[in-house]
Amino acid sequence: MVSLIQSLVKLHLERLAAEDVKLDDFAPRVMEKARAIQQKYSPFITLDENLGSTNRNAQKLPFSVKDNICTNGLRTTAGSRILENYIPPFDATCVRQVKSAGGFVIGKTAMDEFGFGTFSTNCAYGAPKNPIDIQRVCGGSSGGAACVTAAADFPHIAIAQSTGGSITAPAAFTGTVGLTPTYGRVSRWGLIDYANSMDKIGVIGRCTYDAAFGFSLIAGHDPLDATSLNAPKLDYTKVLEKDIRHLRIGVPSEYFNADGVDPQVKKLVWDKITSLERFGATYEEISLPSTKYATAAYYLIALSEASTNLAKFCGLRYGIQGETEGNYENYFSSIRERGFGEEAKRRIVLGTYARMSGYRDAYYIKALKVRAKIIGEFRKAFDRVGAIATPSMPIFAPRFDEVAGLTPVQQYAMDIMTTAPNLAGLPTVSVPAGESGGLPAGVQFIGDYENEGTLLQLAAACEV
Amino acid sequence: MSVMIGIEVHCQLNTASKLFCNSSSDHRGKMPNECTCPICLGFPGSKPVVNKRAIELGMMIALALKCKIAEKMFFSRKTYFYPDMSKNYQITQYEAPLAERGLFTLGENKIRIRRVHIEEDPARLIHVGGDITSAKYVLIDYNRSGIPLAEIVTEPDFTAPKEVRAFLEKMVNVLEHLGAYDSGKEATLRVDANISTDGGERVEVKNITGFENVEKALNYEIIRQSSMKRSGNVVVRETRHFDADTNTTKSLRKKEYEEDYGYIFDPDLPSVTISRAWLESVASSMPELPDQRIERFVRQYSIDEYTAMVIVYSDKRLADFFEECCARYNKPPTVSNWIVNYLLKSLNWRSERISQSKARPETFVELLQLIDEGKITDRFAKELIKEYVDTGISPRTLAQKEIVALSEKDLDEIIVKVLQANANAVEEYRNGKKESLQFLIGKVLSETRKQGNPKKIKDLIVKLMPR
Ligand SMILES: [Zn+2]
Repeated sequence: MVSLIQSLVKLHLERLAAEDVKLDDFAPRVMEKARAIQQKYSPFITLDENLGSTNRNAQKLPFSVKDNICTNGLRTTAGSRILENYIPPFDATCVRQVKSAGGFVIGKTAMDEFGFGTFSTNCAYGAPKNPIDIQRVCGGSSGGAACVTAAADFPHIAIAQSTGGSITAPAAFTGTVGLTPTYGRVSRWGLIDYANSMDKIGVIGRCTYDAAFGFSLIAGHDPLDATSLNAPKLDYTKVLEKDIRHLRIGVPSEYFNADGVDPQVKKLVWDKITSLERFGATYEEISLPSTKYATAAYYLIALSEASTNLAKFCGLRYGIQGETEGNYENYFSSIRERGFGEEAKRRIVLGTYARMSGYRDAYYIKALKVRAKIIGEFRKAFDRVGAIATPSMPIFAPRFDEVAGLTPVQQYAMDIMTTAPNLAGLPTVSVPAGESGGLPAGVQFIGDYENEGTLLQLAAACEV
Repeated sequence: MSVMIGIEVHCQLNTASKLFCNSSSDHRGKMPNECTCPICLGFPGSKPVVNKRAIELGMMIALALKCKIAEKMFFSRKTYFYPDMSKNYQITQYEAPLAERGLFTLGENKIRIRRVHIEEDPARLIHVGGDITSAKYVLIDYNRSGIPLAEIVTEPDFTAPKEVRAFLEKMVNVLEHLGAYDSGKEATLRVDANISTDGGERVEVKNITGFENVEKALNYEIIRQSSMKRSGNVVVRETRHFDADTNTTKSLRKKEYEEDYGYIFDPDLPSVTISRAWLESVASSMPELPDQRIERFVRQYSIDEYTAMVIVYSDKRLADFFEECCARYNKPPTVSNWIVNYLLKSLNWRSERISQSKARPETFVELLQLIDEGKITDRFAKELIKEYVDTGISPRTLAQKEIVALSEKDLDEIIVKVLQANANAVEEYRNGKKESLQFLIGKVLSETRKQGNPKKIKDLIVKLMPR
């Protein structure tokens, strides 16, 4: 499908091929623009100010990297105060792949601390502002990634990451394209863990082409990640050229009829789905009845895992340092008290509780069973349909003051569209479905395992 | 008094690299923290990948202990905050361990094995200027962090500390025969013991190194618990630490119940499926176990079963030594006799194991060859073996020194002196008392420090005897 959106990345790649880009001042000019974006919207935690000193001929295509993905020699905080001075000694596999393909990292993008949030408001270094309306949030937790993508007037791809919807949410709120791959399709080596059984590195781009190009660079098997899939490398920009004729799209009623779905979002998404009929796709309503348990199961599993992942940040090897007083337990507590934000503390306590004796069976083990059931339902659905379509988020990007008024439980409830596919490890793409009052809504397509190709074709069709 | 003891043995597995990374698991001669990488140091963003060899060694151990091996096993995270863990959780196994329900025969007793699982070793803490409770500060060496351990858990089937020690000795022998454990690698074997007396609360003594210390710690606990009861106190469920300097145990903390570690499945590590084919290939590559080896020794070398047991059970390397000697000197009963009766004695005297000793099969057999050649006496050889084990100098060289030193003329002089000093015995011999000649030979030998051929000495005595 030929997208109607002009890709700055594609244009730039063509100019690079024609040797029509002055590489000796390309990176500095990009950095100047990045600083201007930073002034306006604060999408970065760290900008790489040392780019000028490295080999400019290798700096062909700008990338931003979410701040929970390790970059060799460039500060990586995972959005947390506890890692404010952490400089990794190695690159994440995806960063290494991007660099070896001529990409360069302009900076590390803002996020909710350790990925703990839906709006990018739980940020230790300031929340990124939505370029569409700076009173509004970017969505989370990959908010900085979506923000810089939406704001950049230069070719750029954001390396983002999702555990329970952290690519889909900001992509929907900023009108960008976010691809969350199949679990294991992109190596997690170098990713600072939130919930390892669900963490997926993906991409956010201005359009489907950008996302497909970026994804092609980072997808592939990695012996450094035991959960990495043994799937071949593919050029997904080629896959985009295929059409979606005869593709059957499942529309699950549970997602559209859930509590709190904005009617205007619902309408835009439905319109987008029906518009795909002109390309020969069909749709049918399906049912995924376990959806209502997905968010609870997601939080139980994610927080159980997170509470163990964050244990290493105690001021001994990792985390800020402090005065040692009392025994090691006193010391660890004082560092964690100081270094973690409120939401991180809440999630550590919840996750620890869910796996403790007396509660473990009722929460952690039960959630694992729910997860297996949800996976079973999706598998059955994919026997009938080639993709599933839902709203990306139940609402339009809210204002900061609106988010501040939500209780944690109300915030968690905003993840109803994304928790089930993330629990199942299925790939999703979020693509703009249109706007209302200047605010974009996103449609989310969920694909079968390793079927990112179909999702990208659908996303491209939405751009026609 | 009734005693119930169950133990957990943590044995470092003999793999080239660590359990979840490529760092060397052999840190002999290395600086502290030299054998480390981002994975075993727990760097943010690092991920573990399991070492298949460690699982295979674990499978062999489970087979040797007659356990039921899981078709699918998982790794879990055991979370607790302690300075020896870089991640503050240990990757171990909980719900679905490698193997369960085995049996180990110990003489008349059968010890039930509850489970065998694989886990990572934490770092080593060095308490500077004191012990765990009094040290001024602590150093951490991560060379040990991530070395694969097999944890072998028994049911509380021991009724006395000496049974535990016997079990450990036999178990290590099995592990060494499997190649799963290498005592020469400074690999450690740590034991946690649970002990309850007269049906009282279970006390855990953690982290005991050395078999002798296990026995001491348990004996101390029996005395401590019974004297507490005698004085009207109640033994509480707790964890204690063994202090090897004072041979006592000290209270460390109230027992944390297993479940409080908040185990979750480790989401970085997919489950490991142990297929029938894999299990069969591991089973068919299993090295010979000690009991099989004893049987073979009796058959192949015509030595008695008791001697074979002494050789094989005392040390796998000693059994290897025996076989290497037999390959060079084809009188196995002589070899076994000299090993069991004299070599072992010298090693014990030096508190050495054969692997630490300077004794080598190629030099050890020289001793036996020298006897056969009539160059030295049995008695002299028994003297020589001590010096040989001390120095490692070949017996031929050692004997040469002594033989050259003792010239014919010297020997003549010694004999004349002995005959003069023992005129009574000479008289008795002349009167037909044959035993007196033996007495005189003995006297000469003690003067020559047991060198010289007794036959030759006898002939000389008769020749030099005053008429
Ligand atoms: Zn390592």
